[in-house]
This record gives sequence, structure tokens and C-alpha cells, in this order.
Amino acid sequence: MDAFLQGLALVFNFQTLLVIIGAAIFGVFVGAVPGLTATMAVALLVPITFYMDPTPAIAAIVTTSAMAIFAGDIPGTYLNIPGTPASAAYVGESHQLARQGRARETLGTNLVCSMFGGLFGTLVLVFVSPSLAEVALKFSSFEYFWLALLGLSCSIFISIGSKTKAFLSLLVGLLLSTVGLDMMSGAPRFTFGIPDLMAGVNFIPVMIGMFALNELMMFYGSRNEGRNVPAVHKDEVFSSVPKHLKRYWRNLLRGSSTGTLIGALPGAGADIAAWISYAMGKSRSKNRDAYGTGHIEGIVDASSANNSGISGAWVPALVFGIPGDSITAIVIGVLYMKGMNPGPTIFMDGGGLIYALFIVFFIANLIMLPIGYIAIRSAKVFILTPRKILMPIILCFCIVGAFAINNTITDVWIMLITGSVAFILARNDFPMAPAILGLVLGGTLENNFMSSMLKSNGDLLSFFSRPISASLGAMVILIWFLPLFIRLYRRYRGAPQSPRTP
Amino acid sequence: MKDFLLGLAFMAAGAIVYLVAQQFPTMPSLQYGPSLFPSLIGGGFMIGGLILAISHVGALKGIGHGMTWRMEREQLRNTLLSLLPALAIVFYILTSEWLGALLSLALVMFVLMLARRTPPLLALGVSLVAALIVDLLFSRYLLIPLPEGLMSIWG
Repeated sequence: MDAFLQGLALVFNFQTLLVIIGAAIFGVFVGAVPGLTATMAVALLVPITFYMDPTPAIAAIVTTSAMAIFAGDIPGTYLNIPGTPASAAYVGESHQLARQGRARETLGTNLVCSMFGGLFGTLVLVFVSPSLAEVALKFSSFEYFWLALLGLSCSIFISIGSKTKAFLSLLVGLLLSTVGLDMMSGAPRFTFGIPDLMAGVNFIPVMIGMFALNELMMFYGSRNEGRNVPAVHKDEVFSSVPKHLKRYWRNLLRGSSTGTLIGALPGAGADIAAWISYAMGKSRSKNRDAYGTGHIEGIVDASSANNSGISGAWVPALVFGIPGDSITAIVIGVLYMKGMNPGPTIFMDGGGLIYALFIVFFIANLIMLPIGYIAIRSAKVFILTPRKILMPIILCFCIVGAFAINNTITDVWIMLITGSVAFILARNDFPMAPAILGLVLGGTLENNFMSSMLKSNGDLLSFFSRPISASLGAMVILIWFLPLFIRLYRRYRGAPQSPRTP
Repeated sequence: MKDFLLGLAFMAAGAIVYLVAQQFPTMPSLQYGPSLFPSLIGGGFMIGGLILAISHVGALKGIGHGMTWRMEREQLRNTLLSLLPALAIVFYILTSEWLGALLSLALVMFVLMLARRTPPLLALGVSLVAALIVDLLFSRYLLIPLPEGLMSIWG
């Protein structure tokens, strides 16, 4: 009880509440400007949170990400351009509704569904994480090795598009994680005689490079300013929401639970949660034909799923230190910087901090309602913000933000190089999430492998000698061979193969 | 075609990573040393790159049958323009020490705004104000030692 009261005191003070409101406005702005993603917002925020106390720092990240995911629906509805990738799944649906003069009604439904999804995911986080942490306390380096490998494997098999590209993207991240002094022998690796690289590649400049500089380069490489705004509609924001929720409450629950589950899988973020929930909603709907013509049912599923995915991603991040998506990959780094080492012990020795984190999640999702309402009413301001003026300012924040981490220009070079590589890869449809997970989990994977090897005198079979370790190992192997099993099963059942072109 | 070339690039990068990793010292007490993971990553790059190149080898056959792979003028222009932010960062890195962060950032923003046809006066005003805000926020409020350069004359 004392810890809970401490948590309340950490959140309900002037500084933290001011940070939450500021972060909410920042999140709405970044989310609502097409081309600026929620991950980019968080990456840009990290250098500033660096100088805050742990609670306001975490509050800023949680609130920004939740708001940005909702606000991504605003340009999606009005312009048919998703503000963040998480809104892409149902952007067609929302825009069709806007063309029917129902833009505000659509965004109002989006807002309430987003809030519900976020709160649902938070409840799962609050009730599931501590129980999972008790199991995680029994874990040793063998289990953590398998867990990291499980996360990395999931990031490949869940990714959309070419698995080879996802695999290569993951290896880029893993390679970056090997830079610096080796933990076991102290030997320098890929440091090229640069002293700043001895401690390894800092993940924040990499994040800024991969998510902000990459987007900036994309923007300058295209001529699309995206400012043709149709007439803003005069329908009411919330008047039809109760009717929609009464009719589609099953979709709301299904979208939220699917989103939380998918968010918790490493490598799968809010965007994949939205795509899968949209597809699921469509396949189970009685009005399947109405999808794509401006049908509110598809929006209910997907917009609750992307916000619940954000909260769900925190479950493995807090309990195991394994990020559920790119945003929690950044968060793990911030938690370490703030002395809140992610892992099961965070629930034991965190004092009021862990309760403060849970409370922040509730506030971030509740504050979405008033600030989201204002954002919907003033949608035109966000959409009309000229990106040709905004993008150069963002570039300056990238430069100074990367420099601010260690006060060294090496980090600006790292941002430049990783951003340029990410630009080439992203333009050729390589997913970025596996690279980030590779960078964050690379050290965990290698260090746990090496310490396990030291414990067992180099016996590889020891990875299967403990029950939990063996089960996790079996799961990893199953994931690797799953595509093969599915193919063999289809062949056995005589399912039609995709036609081959000569 | 691009995927084929990227596959080859990954194979080459993999070979380099593998060769560099072989020079890392080994640990006497353990058969696996600091070279293990980088070697596996290098090997993975080579295998992944090979799969990517082979699966897009059809693009090469197209060129053999008279199809050309040429970048259109518009495409070339867009590619060059996309390099602008990267060049701006290089400019900042090279000039910020003697120009100072404030002036370098203002120049970077001004040129980037002009590149997207922002009216010059507006670009100048916004660049100066934004550079001042960024400089104040980071060097005065967050106490980041941003280079002062020429501005140090004014203390």
C-alpha cells in the first residue's frame, strides 16, 4: 500500500502532470503530421527525457506514444494519408467515411476505441506482469538466452513482406550490438580505433537515424507536400459513438485483446496489431461486403487494437527486458538510464516507481479523451502545418538530440550512417523493427550465451537441461520450422499451390 | 535489380565482417571467443545476401533480353534531393566548431527550406527563430555544451 501511495505522489505533482500534458500535445502534433511516426516522436523525445526524473521521463514516453497512435487517424481520415503506420490498415475506411461527411463522427469513434484499447492493454499489463515476473525470477542465463532468441525469431516471422529481408535487417542490428569492448574478454570489436566506440554504439542516435533521418530523406526524395485538405465537416464528434459501441462491443473487445496479445509479441507493434485485427474483423463480419466502402465496424476493431498493442508491448519489456515493439525497445534503454533495470526484479525493488508507471498508463489513456477531442476540432491546424518548414526544424532536433547523449560528435556520425543505411534498406522494403530488436537484444543474447557456456564448460546440451529452458528452446525451434510444417501440411491436404509463372 | 545488387552488397559485407572477426583474440578457457557472434553474423549476411540475389536473378535475365535498367531523370533528381538532409548533417559536423551550433543550424534549416521552395523571407525568419529556440533549449536549459564558435565573441 505504501508503494502505491508513493507511486501516486510521484505522478500527481505539478512537474509530472505538466510533462504529461506537454507530451500529449507533442504526441498529437507528431502523430497528426503525415510522415512523422510515433516511434520517431519517442526517439526525438529521449534526449530531453535524459534530463528528467524517472517518472516524468516514462510519463512523457507513454503519453506521447499513445497520443501519436490515435492522432495518426486524423490525416488518415481527412487526407487518406496515415499519420503513423499504425493507422494504415483502416485509412481507406476512415477516408471513405470522411467523404460521406462523417469525418468527426469517425474520429470520435476512433478516439473512444483508442482509449478503450489503451486501458484494456494497461489492465493486462497491471494484472499479468507481476505474475509473469514471479515465473521470470526462476530464469537463469540459459532461459534468457532462449527468450532473446525467441524474440528475435518472432521479429522475423511476424514481419510483413520478405522474411529474407527481415533476417538481414535483424543481422544489421545484431552487428551494431557487437561494436565495442567484448564483455567476456575485453577485446575491442569493430571500434576502428575510435575511443567513443569502446563503450559500444549508443542506441539513441541509431533510433534517431533509423526513424527520423530516414523519414526526412524520404520526404526530400518525394514531391508530395500532402496539403490538399477537403472541406472540414460539421458533424458531431461523440454523438454517434454510443450507438456504434453498443452495436460493435464485441469488435471492441476482440480488437483490444488481439492488439494486446500481438503487441506483447516481440517485433510486432501497433501497425501489425491493426492490420491483423482489421483482417480478423472483416473475416468474422456479417457485412463483409461493406468493408472498404466506409464501414465503421472495421475501424472499431483496428483502432482499439493499435492502442492496446502499445500497452501490450510493455509486458515483455518490463518482465523480461525483451521489447514488444520499436517504442519499447527505446523505453528499455531509457529505463536502464534511469536505474529502473527491466526484468522481474523491477516489481520487487522498484518501490513506488512501478506503481507510478501503471498510474501514468491510465492517465495517458484517459487524457486522450479531452486532448483528442480538441485535436479533432482543430484538425485543420495539424494537417495544414507545412512539412517543408517542419522537416528542417526536425533535422536540427535530430542533430542536437544525437549530440546531447554523450556530448560527442561521434554520435552525430552514427546517426548519419545508420539513418542513411536505414533509408536505403527501407526504400527497398526491408522492415526496420528487426534491426532495432537486434541492436537492443544482441548484447543480452551474446552475454547470456557466453555466461551459460562458462557455467557449463562449453556443453551446448546444457541449454536443454532445465525444464523452462528446454521448453523455450523447443518453442524457438518450432518457430523456425513452422513455415516448413505449414508447407508440408498444405501439400498433404492437397491445398492449391500458388500458380507459378513460366 | 536493386534487390539483386543489395544481395551482392550483403554478401560482400558478410565476407568483410567474417574476415575481420577472425582477427579477434580467442579466450584460452573457452572454445567460443569474441569472434563467435560476429562470425555468425558475417555468415548470416552471406547466406541471406545469396538468397536475396538468387531470388532476384530474373532481373538480370531481363537485361540480357534487351530490357535496360536506367534511372529516369525525375528518379535521379529525387534520389539526389533525398541526400540533402545527410549533406546538411555533414555540413553541421564540419562547420559547427568554428561557426557555432546556432549559425550552423540556422544555415542548415534555411537551405533545406529553400530547397522545398519556401519564400526566402519566411525561411530566414523561421530558421533564425528555430535555431535560437533549439540553442536555448539545449545549451541553456539542458546544459549541453553545444559549440559556440563565432558566437563566443559576444560571450
